[in-house]
Amino acid sequence: MNQSEELLKRLPNDIGGQPGEPVRRVEHQYLPWEKRCHALADVLDMRKIVNTEEKRRGVESLGSEMIGKLTYYERWIAAFANVLFQKGILTPGELAVKMEEVAARHRRETSA
Amino acid sequence: MHTHDHSHDHTPIAVPDEAPGYYEILETAVRELLAAKQIVSPGEMRQQLEVLDSRTPQLGAKLVAKAWVNPGFKERLLADGRVACEEMGITFYENTQLTVLENTEKVHNLIVCTLCSCYPREVLGLPPDWYKLAPYRSRAVREPRAVLAEFGTTISEDVEIRVSDSTAMIRYLVLPQRPAGTEFMTEEELAALVTRDAMIGVVPVRFGKERVQ
Repeated sequence: MNQSEELLKRLPNDIGGQPGEPVRRVEHQYLPWEKRCHALADVLDMRKIVNTEEKRRGVESLGSEMIGKLTYYERWIAAFANVLFQKGILTPGELAVKMEEVAARHRRETSA
Repeated sequence: MHTHDHSHDHTPIAVPDEAPGYYEILETAVRELLAAKQIVSPGEMRQQLEVLDSRTPQLGAKLVAKAWVNPGFKERLLADGRVACEEMGITFYENTQLTVLENTEKVHNLIVCTLCSCYPREVLGLPPDWYKLAPYRSRAVREPRAVLAEFGTTISEDVEIRVSDSTAMIRYLVLPQRPAGTEFMTEEELAALVTRDAMIGVVPVRFGKERVQ
């Protein structure tokens, strides 16, 4: 089977039963923003805005390259932004403006 | 093959004065926009962060110890994990069910989420990185004995290994075997022996001389 057929048959998350490397018992303390990201996911789920399955599918649709390169919560927040765009709750434009505002606020705080 | 398990080491440790990274800025921006639109309030966020902090493997350990000393509770726990947890005041996220799998002389259980990271977080808190990374997710269902060996666990060939794959709706928790020599211990002392990894099923609960590693 060639590689493109494999990509079609198995979405990036569908790795159960595939061969793999030895398990390394890695752990890290969750960073504050990672915890906030998790709490945000929970609240969005409780408010029936984005459920677990939509979140997982949102991550899946980032594609295998991004799934491979982003960390766990980087994938989550990227997926949430996309799902919220699709639902018309946020727009890419307002998010870009807000991100610039957050970055600028931080630059002011650290230069003060 | 795509790059795999680097999710633990390329996020720098946050130092207060260090500029937030791109994804942290993204998280803050999404959260602030949702607050401005009155979709997710800062109060709800704070409350949920407190809930996350309150969920730790000690909750699961309490369940296990209680099941070991109280046959009636054990029966209820195995019949419906969620109902038994609620009896102990452990609340659940809407719609999730908890199935508790009992390890015996004949069966050893192991839990995994091959698709992502579903985990009994109501009673164990957030999962360790290795549970969410490709090697464990891909191999646990294919060669559980080899995976267990990487955790230093050898299960006798005449014991059946059952691997349960979690979903968004159904989460699993392993009820480990009570180790020998603990007959006179109190429920609280027993709970202190029960580790997170034993409730995932990758190690047994150890006591006394057995308690190495």
